[in-house]
Amino acid sequence: MNTKIAALGEKDIMLIFRAVGVAVFPVNTIIEAEDKLKKIIKEEYGIIFMTETIAIKLDSIIKQYSFKLLPSIVIIPGLGERNNYAIDILRQAIIKAVGADVMAEG
Amino acid sequence: MILNINATRMELLRLKKRLKIAQRGHKLLKDKRDELMRQLLSIIDEVKSLRFSIEKEFQSILESFMLAKAEMGPFQMEQELLLPTKTISVSVEQKNLMSVHVPVYTREVKGDIISYGYFNTSGELDISLIKFDEFIESLLALAEKEKTVQLLANEIEETRRRVNALEYKLIPNLIETIKSITMKLSETELSNTVRLMKIKDMVRSH
Repeated sequence: MNTKIAALGEKDIMLIFRAVGVAVFPVNTIIEAEDKLKKIIKEEYGIIFMTETIAIKLDSIIKQYSFKLLPSIVIIPGLGERNNYAIDILRQAIIKAVGADVMAEG
Repeated sequence: MILNINATRMELLRLKKRLKIAQRGHKLLKDKRDELMRQLLSIIDEVKSLRFSIEKEFQSILESFMLAKAEMGPFQMEQELLLPTKTISVSVEQKNLMSVHVPVYTREVKGDIISYGYFNTSGELDISLIKFDEFIESLLALAEKEKTVQLLANEIEETRRRVNALEYKLIPNLIETIKSITMKLSETELSNTVRLMKIKDMVRSH
């Protein structure tokens, strides 16, 4: 089965994704991002790259799809301030499964 | 809790059969949970180190890309990258990991990463694009692994709930009910014998 790759995020970062042939969806506001994300999922893109700053605000939508085979949403760091959203979402899933934080340092 | 079942021999046999199946299922599910857990733990460290290295590398690529952009100006940059010749698509296959279906991505690439003439562009741009081109591969690997972790985590949670329901609810209930039925049956048998003896006595005394 073939699938397409999409990238969603700030305009500056999207430029580099376009160069490698990924379908890009530059966004400025969160509302815009939410609409575009829903559209991307509807159009059956298999892999979605998304910047942290946007992802943290669209948490509820991302969680809906995290336990489905497709699409796979990958959080990439953005240009702005860093937040550890990607690690956190994994950590939450693991805590729910194992009952302990096995990702903690050690 | 004793199940709401008639205390008959037939029900007793049925319950005993159910108990056997429940115990077998419990053992199998427990093994499944342990194996899933092992798989998850082995992949977690991999994902963690991959993610950290990717974030670092992405940061450095973005930096050099931004430098190139500053050097060339945003409009020029956009113009050069307006029509990329490279197309990328991914074929998804499913792998069966302990009955959890996880995706496996293989990338199919066409065209060249450099879609512009060298005349108006800076060398920094070429370098960052070529780096990013290689970088995509590890991003895909990360996508695959993170998805696997999430799917495994979900499956473990489900299996754990099943194991617990069997262990702490169904099996004790069945055992208790079986015990109470056995007791009741032996009680009726006893009272029957006593009654017969009593009648025999009455008949004799006449």
